[in-house]
Amino acid sequence: MGTATGIIKALNSGIKHLAVKRFTLRYPEQKLKFVGDGYQFDPTTGVGIAGYKGRHMLFHDKCTGCQLCAIACEGVAEAIGMVKVQDEWKHNKKGIMPQIDYGKCVFCGLCVDACPFYALYMTNDYELSSFTKEALIYTPAQLQVKPYVQQDAEIVFDSRGATHG
Amino acid sequence: MTTQLPPGLQLEKVDERIMTLNVGPQHPGSGHMRLIIKVDGDYIVSCDPDPGYVHRGEEKMAEYRNYIVNIPHLERPVIHDSCNVLYPYCLGVEELLGLEVPERAKYLRVIASELNRCVYIQYWLAIYGIFLGHSTMFMWPAGDRELLIDLLEKITGARVTHAYFVPGGIRNDVPANFEEMCLKRVNYFEKRIKEYAAIFYDNPILISRTQGAGVLSREDAIRLGTTGSTLRASGVDFDLRKKEPYDAYGELDVHSNVLKDGDSYARSKIPWLDMLESCNIIRQALQKMPKSGSVRVKLKPNPKGGNDEVYKRVESGRGSLGCYIVSRSQPEPYRLKLSVGSFRNLICMPYLLKGEKLGNMPAVYWSLNYWPVEADR
Repeated sequence: MGTATGIIKALNSGIKHLAVKRFTLRYPEQKLKFVGDGYQFDPTTGVGIAGYKGRHMLFHDKCTGCQLCAIACEGVAEAIGMVKVQDEWKHNKKGIMPQIDYGKCVFCGLCVDACPFYALYMTNDYELSSFTKEALIYTPAQLQVKPYVQQDAEIVFDSRGATHG
Repeated sequence: MTTQLPPGLQLEKVDERIMTLNVGPQHPGSGHMRLIIKVDGDYIVSCDPDPGYVHRGEEKMAEYRNYIVNIPHLERPVIHDSCNVLYPYCLGVEELLGLEVPERAKYLRVIASELNRCVYIQYWLAIYGIFLGHSTMFMWPAGDRELLIDLLEKITGARVTHAYFVPGGIRNDVPANFEEMCLKRVNYFEKRIKEYAAIFYDNPILISRTQGAGVLSREDAIRLGTTGSTLRASGVDFDLRKKEPYDAYGELDVHSNVLKDGDSYARSKIPWLDMLESCNIIRQALQKMPKSGSVRVKLKPNPKGGNDEVYKRVESGRGSLGCYIVSRSQPEPYRLKLSVGSFRNLICMPYLLKGEKLGNMPAVYWSLNYWPVEADR
């Protein structure tokens, strides 16, 4: 193949893409859809359930304050600390629950794997940025709130290429 | 003027013609590593690679953490290839603890690691494109990489740092319509990367830039102990997926790509051919995979190995990646050593760059498939 033919072919390959749809995800307007409600773990079978590893969610009616999540985090990010909570639960004699520092968390999900009581899940919420470091520390009361997420963009394929539909 | 120097120190002799250049360590392209290059006019006289700016002590850290907690740490050296980096560690720990991985998990590991290899190579290719001033080749791989990242995100729950493999299988099973979704994306991805041929690999401008630059002969490649795409571009057929099949690779038909030239062009083409091969492997694995079954062996909370040592290696995006673990009946490994492809390929830099033009330096350097963070561990 001659030099001129090669260059023309390369240019042609680029020009063809003027007709191809743009693949870019326009992020704040569009948000990618994930599978399910987030990463969960089933301690009876020992296998997780596929999902996005985002902000945690804590169920106060299930957490016993056993600290297994904090122990699991110890060598990883040391993001989980156990703090006193006001409300009293029969199954949580010590009255302590995890508080997660998202400035340190690496979202590996090993704390979810460690919880034997189905109390800690991970949700699809990943927009956690804040102006202060203190605001990144989520107390048990904040972790209890189910996040509102509106994620509906999915990659679709058609004859003119892939797009975030 | 004579300066009194402390004993043992000596000043470098300054030559009128020879100039010393420091490339890096903060060069946006080179990553965190420095190349001390001596030039005579436009020609490189000698090159001294100087890695070690991002040494994190991963191996030492691993001695203080148990086998499970090590997982998020050990994938940090190459987060773009995190499944392949964890692979030899998991294989090693499984042998230490005597675990038998379920059949379905073996295939899913193969699929995840092949997807991850494509993701890594696309990232590498994007940087190779921008190194050579080909900005289209920066945009296209960076965009197409997103297809597979999105797929990996659906499987593992994270875009790059997956922490997906554990000793004894994988963390979670794949979502419901995974096979159909994976096949669709991989087919489209293959179609897309085939388009790179016309604009990049068959482009006369790239060929004139890289062909004949930094030739590594077959004998030198073996003598210097290179690995991965650098070795295969020099005509040595050595692919661990084929030579020492691990997990499900033994049941799959793996073709290893070999080119004979040993120059930068061949070294840059091998990873691209590897991506096409990865697509084939993924399709085969999807077909042969058991449709249901367990994916993980249940582990005790703090598993301990016996007095034993084990060495396992896999083919990562940058070549053979080995993990040596010594266990002394403790929950933590007594010693953990990673033998990485990047560091072993770096040794040919002084040989390849001697007598080369300075302008060819980026083309030769990045074609070695070198990842600074992995080399430093």
